[in-house]
Amino acid sequence: MAWQRETFKKIKQIPREEHVLPGTTLCAGCGGLEALRLAAKVLGDDVLYVNAAGCFTMLAAYPFTPFKGSWLYTTMGSAPAGAQGVRDALDVLIAKGRLSKEEDLKVVVLGGDGSTYDMALSSTSGAVARKLDFYYFCYDNEAYGNTGMQLSPATPYGARTVTSPCSLQHPAGATQEKKDIFELWRAHKPPYIATVAPRYPLDLEEKFARAAKFTGPKLFLALSACPTGWLYDPGETPEVAKLAVETGLWPLKEAINGDVTHTYIPKRKPVEEYLKLQGRFRHLFEPTVQTDVIAHIQSRVTTYWERVKQTEQGA
Amino acid sequence: MAGEMMTGNLAAAWGARLADVDYVPAFPITPQTEIVEALAKWCESGVMAARFVTLDSEHSMMTAAGAAAATGARVFTATSSQGLLYAMEVLYSISGWRTPLVLVNVSRALAAPITLESDHNDVLAARDSGFLQIHAETCQEVLDSILMAYRIAEDERVMLPVIVNLDGFYLSFTREPVILPDPEQVKQFLPPFQPAHLGFKASSPHALGVAVLGGVTYSYFRHQMHLASFNALAVHQEAAADFARIFGRRYDFLEGYRLDGAEDVLVMTNAFASKGKAAVDAARAEGRRVGLLRLRVIRPWPADAICQALRGRRAVAVLDQNLSPGQGGILFQEIAASLYHEPVRPRALCSFIGGLGGKNISEGEFRAIFEQTAEAGVRGKGMGPVLLYTKTEHREMTELQMLAAGPIAGS
Amino acid sequence: MLAIRFHGRGGQGAKTASRIVGTAAFLEGFVAQDSPIYGAERRGAPVAAFTRIAKEQIRERGVIVHPDVVIVADASLISDPTARVFQGVDDRTVVFVNSSLSPQQVATQTSCSGRVTTLDLTEIALQRVGKRGALSALLGAVAGRLVGLHQESIRKAIAEELADLGLSPSVIERNQTVAAQCYETVQPVTIETGVPQPIVPVQLQAPIYEPPTRGTARISAAANSVLRETGGWRTFRPVLVPDKCNGCWLCFTYCPDGVISMSKDDRPVIDYDHCKGCQICVHECPTDALVAEREKEGEVAWRAK
Repeated sequence: MAWQRETFKKIKQIPREEHVLPGTTLCAGCGGLEALRLAAKVLGDDVLYVNAAGCFTMLAAYPFTPFKGSWLYTTMGSAPAGAQGVRDALDVLIAKGRLSKEEDLKVVVLGGDGSTYDMALSSTSGAVARKLDFYYFCYDNEAYGNTGMQLSPATPYGARTVTSPCSLQHPAGATQEKKDIFELWRAHKPPYIATVAPRYPLDLEEKFARAAKFTGPKLFLALSACPTGWLYDPGETPEVAKLAVETGLWPLKEAINGDVTHTYIPKRKPVEEYLKLQGRFRHLFEPTVQTDVIAHIQSRVTTYWERVKQTEQGA
Repeated sequence: MAGEMMTGNLAAAWGARLADVDYVPAFPITPQTEIVEALAKWCESGVMAARFVTLDSEHSMMTAAGAAAATGARVFTATSSQGLLYAMEVLYSISGWRTPLVLVNVSRALAAPITLESDHNDVLAARDSGFLQIHAETCQEVLDSILMAYRIAEDERVMLPVIVNLDGFYLSFTREPVILPDPEQVKQFLPPFQPAHLGFKASSPHALGVAVLGGVTYSYFRHQMHLASFNALAVHQEAAADFARIFGRRYDFLEGYRLDGAEDVLVMTNAFASKGKAAVDAARAEGRRVGLLRLRVIRPWPADAICQALRGRRAVAVLDQNLSPGQGGILFQEIAASLYHEPVRPRALCSFIGGLGGKNISEGEFRAIFEQTAEAGVRGKGMGPVLLYTKTEHREMTELQMLAAGPIAGS
Repeated sequence: MLAIRFHGRGGQGAKTASRIVGTAAFLEGFVAQDSPIYGAERRGAPVAAFTRIAKEQIRERGVIVHPDVVIVADASLISDPTARVFQGVDDRTVVFVNSSLSPQQVATQTSCSGRVTTLDLTEIALQRVGKRGALSALLGAVAGRLVGLHQESIRKAIAEELADLGLSPSVIERNQTVAAQCYETVQPVTIETGVPQPIVPVQLQAPIYEPPTRGTARISAAANSVLRETGGWRTFRPVLVPDKCNGCWLCFTYCPDGVISMSKDDRPVIDYDHCKGCQICVHECPTDALVAEREKEGEVAWRAK
C-alpha cells in the first residue's frame, strides 16, 4: 500500500506562524533554510537547537537570533553530545522537581553534511545507540559550504567543488560516491529516519508530524539546494530540489525502526535534467559531453530504484 | 588517624558525590577510570541522585557536560591526558559559555610515545582555556578541592569551570586516610546551583555561545573571562575561610613549607611536593636554610601571593614536571614573569625539569637541586632548564637503546 | 600610497575587484596589497575589500580607515549601518557609486562628503553580460581608471583573476570587453592625497566585570533578527499582480526566509524590509502573479512598503 499522509493533506494546512524569523544572513535562496523553516512550523517554539559548525552557525550571530526558541552553539563534531547533555539535564531537573514539565524542550541538532557525514558521525552514532530522545536535522548541500564549497563526503560523483576540480586526471570532478548516511543511520535502527526536500512541503511536514510520535532518535536528512555552491540562480532552488527528486537522485523515504518506505515514487526523469541546471555539473556538458560520467550517475539511480521495486512490494 | 583509607580517584568520586551533582557524563581512560567506575556504581544504586552516561569520546563527554551545565544541572566529569587533549576544543567552548562545572584531570604524560604515568603537560595544555585550575597534593585535598571548586565556579562573580588536578598513580591509585566531610555540612558550604544566565527552558528562550563577528565583540567576551578568573582570587579566599570554619582544613592559593628563614625556595606542584617537603626536612636537618612553595591554584595565577612568598629570597628553583620543547618549564616562565616587578627579587632563578612520564625524583636529585640553587644564589645568576636525569638512569637508557637497535631475531 | 576600499554584497565581486586592481597595479610595477574582510560572507550580505597601491613598501594591513577611493558596488549599502560605506570619507575622498543617478543626486541624497562619481554598472552588466550579480571586472575597471592604472593592465588582471575563479575564456573575454567600456565611460575625478592626519593616542577604556547574562555571547531577546533588515540585498523585488493571484500559498510555502505571509483573503503580503530578492516566489508562482521588478534607486528605496 502506498504511503499516505495523515496530517498534512493540503498545502493550506501548513501553519501560518513563523518560528524562524527573517533577518538572518544566510544566502538568498538557501534551500537549507527553506527546509528548516518548514520543519520549525511543526517543531514549534519549545525547542533548543544544538548547532554544529556549518552554514547555520550564522543563523544566530550576536546580537541577533531568528528563533523564538533557544540555541546552543557547540562544535562541529559533537552537537549530538550537546543534545545528550541538554536532554539529560532537562530529564534530571524535571525528575528532581527543579523544573516543571511545562518547561520541557524538544532538542534538535542542526548539522550540515560536513559535520553529519564525517566529523560528528561518532557522536551521532553514540547518541542514537543511547536512544537519545532528540531530533537530528541535517541540511545537506553536498559540500563544506560555509568554508566555500570544498568536497565533503556528501558530495556526489561528478560534482565539481573547489577541492575536487575538473582536471585532466579527474574529468568528472568528484570521483567518490556520496556516502549513504541514511543507511549508516539505519544500521542503528532508530525509531525514525526520513529524507525530505523542501520542494515537497507536505511530505516534509508530515514526516516531522509522524516523527513526533516516537520517543528516541528522529533523524532527518534535508536536501538543501545551494545556489551559492551549486551555481544556479537563487530563484531556482525549488526547481533544483524538484528535479533531484523527480530524477530519483534524492529519494524521499522514511525508515521506522529500520523498515524503509519510499514516500514518493518518481517517474524518474533522466538525470541530465537535474545536472544541467547547475554550474557544479557544467563540466559534464561543456566543452564536451562526458557521456560515461552521466551514464554512471544514471546507472546508480536506476540500480537504486530497481532494488526498491524488489524490496518494497507494491510500492 | 581519622578518616578512611582511599585512593585519590575514590576521593575524587566522593567529592562529586558529596557535591550532590546531577549529572556525570563519562568516558574511561587510565588512570582516571576508577573515578567513573565508582560514580557509575553509586548512580546505579541510587545513593547518588545523578544520571551517569557513558559518551562516545572525551570530546563528546565534555560537550555533554557543558551542555548539561548550560541547562542548569550541576555536572561532574573526569578525564586524563590524551582524553583531555581530545576534548580540548570543548574546554574553550564551556568556559566561553561561562558554564561552571568540575572536571577532574588525572595527570598522565602525553603521547608520543604513549605512556601511562604522570606529568603535567596535559593539564597545563588547558592553561589558557579559561578553566580555573587547582592542583592537589593529597587525596584529602582532592576531595576538599572539588567541593571548593563548585563553590568558586558557581559564584556569580566567576561562573567559570574548574579543573581539579591530581597525579596519575602517585595519587590516583595511592591509598591514604581521607576524612569524609559530613553531607549536611557540605550543604551548608555549597549552596544550590542557581545560575542566572543558564538554564534552557520553554519560558525563557535564549541563545548561548552564538557566533560573533569582529574583534570588538570577541575581545570583550574573552576579556570578561579574564576578569571572571581574577575575581576567583577573592572568591577562593572566601570559600577557603568558610571551608576552614566548617571543616577545619584551610587551603590557600599556595602552601608554604618551612619558608620561615629559608634562603632558597623550591617551587613545586601536585603529589611530588610531598617528596619535596621530605627533601626540605632532610636538608634543614643538615643546616641548609631551604623551604618549599607549593602552587595549588594555577589559574587564576596568584601573582601577589607568589611574590610575597618569594621576594627577598637568595635563590628560587622551580621544578617543572612538564616540558615545553624549545622553551623549558612552563611554570618557571610564569614565576619569572611575576617576580620581574619585585624590587627585592631573588638573586637567582633556577629551572629544573623532572618527573617527566612519571620518572621518580630521588632524594639525591632534590639534594642536587638544593646545591645548584644555592650556588646560583651565591653567584647571583640563575640557570636552567636542567633536566633531572641521573647517571644510573642514563646507563639504563643506553642498555634499552642497545636492545632496540640490536640485530633482529634469527639473523 | 593610494588606498581603495570596495563595498559590495556577497557575490557581487567586490573581493575580486580588489584583486583585479591589486594585480593590475602589480603588473605596472607598483607595490600592491589587497585583502578582503570576511564576515557573514554570504551572498547578499555586506562585504568589504581593500587594495593599497604604493611606490614603496606598504606598512599597513587590513581595514582601510581613511580611504582615498571608495567603490560602492551596490547603492543600497549606503543606508546599511553595518556596511559603513562612508567611514573615514572626507571632502577629498573619491566615492564611486554603482547607480543610475547622477553624482549630484547621489551626493545630495546620501549627504556624502566625498567627490562622487557614478555609473550604472548593474544595467551594463544586465545588458552586456546578461546576469545579475557579478560585477567584479566592471568594478575593477572603474577603480583602476580612478586611480590612474592603464587599461591594458586592467585587461590582463581581469583575465588572471577570472581565470583563477574558473571562468571560461569566452566569459572572461566578454567581461574584458564590458570592463573596457566602463573604464572609458566612468567620469574620472582627480584624487588628492591629503596631508597625513596627526596621530593622537586614543583614550583606552578597560571593560569592567559584568555578570555573564551580559558578559558572554548570549542573546536573551527572542527572534530579534527582524531588527536586521536584509531588504537591501535585492537587485530585483517580487511584486504582486493581484488580479492574477489564485491564492495557492506556494510563494508563502517556498520562501526560505519566511518573508511572505498570507492575508485573510489568501493574497501574499511581502515583507520588503527583509525579502532578499531570491525570486523563488516569482519562479514558483503558477499564475505569474509575482513578477520581478528592478529595485529603484535612492536612499532606502528598497524599504518602501
